[in-house]
Amino acid sequence: MTRVLVIDDEAPIRLLCRVNLEAEGMSVLEASDGPSGLERARAELPDIVLLDVMMPGLDGWGVAEALLDDASTAEIPIIFLTARAEFRDRARGLDIGGVDYVTKPFNPVELAPLVRALLDRLDRGERDDLRREKLTELRSLMDS
Amino acid sequence: MNAQTQAVLFNAVPLLVLAALYLSVTAALAPALWRERSRARGTDAATALVFPCVGVAAALVGGLALSTREPFAGHLWVSFAATLVALLPGGVFVFAWVRRGVDFETTRDADVAFETARQLRESERRLAEQSALLGAGQALTSDLHLDAVLERLVEEVRALLGADAADCWMFDESGRRLICRAVRGLPESQIGRSIPPEGTVGEAIATGKPVLRRDFAATEQPPPSKAYAGFAEVMDAPIETRGTVCGVLGVCSLTPRHFDERDLQLLDTFADLASVTVRNAEAFEDSLRQAQVQSGFYRIAAVLGAPLSAQATLDAVAQAAAEALGGEAAAVLRPRGGRLEISGVHALPDVLREFLAGDSDALEVFTAAARDGRVLASRDAQEDDRFGTPFAVAAKGAGCCSLLAVPVEDARGGEGGLVLVLFAQERTFRDEDLELARQLAGAARGALERSELFELERRSRALAQQLARAGQELAAELDPAAVLDAAVELAPQLLGAAAASIRSLEGDELVVVSATGEGAEQAIAARSSSTAWLVGDIVQTRTPVAIADTSVDGRMTDADPMLAAGYGAYLGVPVLEPDGAIHGILAVYDVEPRVWREEEVDALRALAASAAGSRANADLYQRVALEKERSFAILANVADGIVAVDREGLVVLWNTAAEHITGVPQAEALGLSPVQVLGRSLEGGATQAGGSGLVSIGRGVEEVWLSLSEAVMTDPAGGVAGRIFAFRDISDERAVEQMKSDFVSTVSHELRTPLTSIYGFAETLLRQDVLFGEAERETFLRYIASESERLTAIVDRLLSVAQLDTGEMRVQLATTDVAEVVAEAVRDVEAAHGRNGHTVVLSLGEGPLAAEADAGKLVQVLSHLLDNAIRYSPDGGTVTVAARLIPGAVELAVEDEGLGIPRAEHERVFRKFYRGESASRISGAGSTGLGLFIAEGLVNAMGGRIWVDSAEGGGSRFVVELPAAVAVET
Repeated sequence: MTRVLVIDDEAPIRLLCRVNLEAEGMSVLEASDGPSGLERARAELPDIVLLDVMMPGLDGWGVAEALLDDASTAEIPIIFLTARAEFRDRARGLDIGGVDYVTKPFNPVELAPLVRALLDRLDRGERDDLRREKLTELRSLMDS
Repeated sequence: MNAQTQAVLFNAVPLLVLAALYLSVTAALAPALWRERSRARGTDAATALVFPCVGVAAALVGGLALSTREPFAGHLWVSFAATLVALLPGGVFVFAWVRRGVDFETTRDADVAFETARQLRESERRLAEQSALLGAGQALTSDLHLDAVLERLVEEVRALLGADAADCWMFDESGRRLICRAVRGLPESQIGRSIPPEGTVGEAIATGKPVLRRDFAATEQPPPSKAYAGFAEVMDAPIETRGTVCGVLGVCSLTPRHFDERDLQLLDTFADLASVTVRNAEAFEDSLRQAQVQSGFYRIAAVLGAPLSAQATLDAVAQAAAEALGGEAAAVLRPRGGRLEISGVHALPDVLREFLAGDSDALEVFTAAARDGRVLASRDAQEDDRFGTPFAVAAKGAGCCSLLAVPVEDARGGEGGLVLVLFAQERTFRDEDLELARQLAGAARGALERSELFELERRSRALAQQLARAGQELAAELDPAAVLDAAVELAPQLLGAAAASIRSLEGDELVVVSATGEGAEQAIAARSSSTAWLVGDIVQTRTPVAIADTSVDGRMTDADPMLAAGYGAYLGVPVLEPDGAIHGILAVYDVEPRVWREEEVDALRALAASAAGSRANADLYQRVALEKERSFAILANVADGIVAVDREGLVVLWNTAAEHITGVPQAEALGLSPVQVLGRSLEGGATQAGGSGLVSIGRGVEEVWLSLSEAVMTDPAGGVAGRIFAFRDISDERAVEQMKSDFVSTVSHELRTPLTSIYGFAETLLRQDVLFGEAERETFLRYIASESERLTAIVDRLLSVAQLDTGEMRVQLATTDVAEVVAEAVRDVEAAHGRNGHTVVLSLGEGPLAAEADAGKLVQVLSHLLDNAIRYSPDGGTVTVAARLIPGAVELAVEDEGLGIPRAEHERVFRKFYRGESASRISGAGSTGLGLFIAEGLVNAMGGRIWVDSAEGGGSRFVVELPAAVAVET
């Protein structure tokens, strides 16, 4: 069973994620701020992390960097889940090492298929392709 | 033998034999005695008479005895004894002669005896003569002065010849009259008398032989002087030197026939001695003169050797002239302004000095001599009609008798001068004197030339120094008009002139703009044509015009108004601007005519150039100063910080705005580099030259962002002469920009977050594939509702900001119980946040806290403050809300125990979009940077005020003060 860690300071958002992901048969772990999220990630080693960016204290960027720096958690794919919709934020997310970037508001129903598809591709070893794809996508968005 | 025979034999015969002997001796001696009669006197004469007398007496007694044939006294022995007695003197005499070894047996022998006696006397006399001559000779060698020697000669010759008087006459310089030089036995007053060479004296001179005048009293009529009347005999012998008679030596006797030929010879000998004396004395005087000449030369040589000033040289020349020629006083006269002027003096009596400095007409003879290079010599200047009465009077007053004036050529070929030597004694000038004078003139010329060169150099140097000083003074003057005044002040000092003026060219006219000296006041502002004679030359040809004597041309006054004051000399030079244009004329004036030397003309030109340059500089300076003042005024008042650094990178300008922006006072910044002042270099802070860039500096603890532009000033060589930095404090702008940017993100986030929930729960509820329980559905729906409220609140807040921005914020003031509002607000906050680990404490004073406020707005204000209090005290703690009544107002305070706000941010936290440093760290989402901005806006709108007391790490205390409600107070 796919284990998803949701790190977000907004309780309603965490609830949304949990409800919709569990509905697709995934198990959901929650953390309400950066440090606890980091702690849980290290402790539980989830299959994937849904990470909010704007949080009090340690923000999403910091959490992502810490995870990627840590060898034990470096392989965990990170999907940024944030209200920051600007291109530079997306770019920053991809730069840091996130595999995808979902801007709020998002359709929570689509969350589970997204997670599943990403994990499939990563399983297939298409991490680099995925990354390139996302960058190309971002570039075409920026150009348009 | 009888008595008769005895008487004949014993008396008559011996007596007659004795008589015959004596008479024969007498006869034998007679010619010699006759020859010697002139010298025979006294005992000699008596002795000569003994022989004939004794002879005759003996013949008479013998004859008597022969005729009477009676023995004397009748007795034979008595008569024999008487005869013996009668014979005794003769016997003794003869015996004496025999004793001397003289044979007086014959008349020849007797003659020899007489001759011997005479020779003896002669020897004694020679001895006397010799000793007299020796004495005279000694006098001759011991005394070199002619008069002293002549006196001694006269004395000796008188004593030797037993004369009653003796005298010596010498020819005067003219050789026509004799002057008495020495007398003995005559009144001393005779000395110095002069007589023509006549009479006995004349004969002696004419014949060249000594003359004995026996019948002087009779023939010499009239006598040479009364003193000579009464002399019976006179002898005169000529004194010759170098073949010509130069005088006579004479002796006089009251007794007739006193002198004989021998005396004449002796006198001649003495005359010869006198000749030697005269020659010696002349030689001595020559030597003396030579020595004087030598010393004169040495004096001149010394003068030549020492680098004396012209004045000292001229005085020395005068002294040398006086000493060399044996004069008492001397003066050097040199031409100046057409007349001779005293240039150097030595012991010159005041009366003569006054005369020489006086009327130039009286000096005409000297002026002419100087001009023509003639020597003037006068034995008796007082009587010399060449010099005129004024000079005679002055000469008499000065006790000056002879005069010698020697022309001295000018070293530089100009008009020559004159060395005037004055003698107290009458003096005849001989060739040597004139030669010496010429030598002196040559030497004087050399000395003057040298001293003039020296003086010229000294003067040039002095002029140059003065000029340099003048230049400095002029350069220091910063007012163009004052520069001209200063030049006019300096010009007369520079040239030792009496006055100066500057005339500026205005159109075709010259206007006196500045003047000093007599007539200056009248001349100021006077106008005259620039094409007039004289000045026209200066203006047109731009060359100096020097007039040594303005009186020679009557047009002078027309040419220059200053000349109306009667100046004697004029020198005008053009004043040329640095670009070569003529500005006007700088002129100096002197009272007396004077020759303007070339270096003086040059100096004045230099001064004029200096003045023109300084004037142009002063002009420029004034313009620059004005410009600078203006620039400084602009720089001081400009809002941008302006900092200029010099070549070394040190601050030379730090304007008020720079002080304000950097917080560094100008005084602390000047002379230091920006690195020292600001801790960083400004150079290159601009991204490109002439462009602008962004740099940050520290102002106290704050970081200030500057928009900086830089301009590099280059010198003509292309090097960096300095830099100017202009900067503007864009910290606020930058912060606001940053905050705007953040705001967009934040608002986006703030809006998206509730939207995400609303949208997400809505989509979730719409899921067909999952069935949610009732409780779940309710939770979802409640989230949708609360997040919608949140969205509304955010929109409200944005609206408030918009209203505050546009001034459309309306408040409805009413008497409001603050305590109630506080309670409501706290309730709201607790509802929104939950206690979240915080303790909210209310501290409300007793009784109603009535304020004049808008209750709704006040709730908003408090909500913001409480939100912040909770948000920024992440570790929980107590949040105290206090309200109390203070005079005229209600004070409301919200205090937390959170992070606190640094002092520097106290003011900024109320700005729009501003989020504190800690806010960025802590708040993450949910802070728009608008809360306090809105709170302040609302409080202000209600007529109150809001501030914060806080220190970093020490919690914050926001205080709101609202006007107390008037109605409640009653």
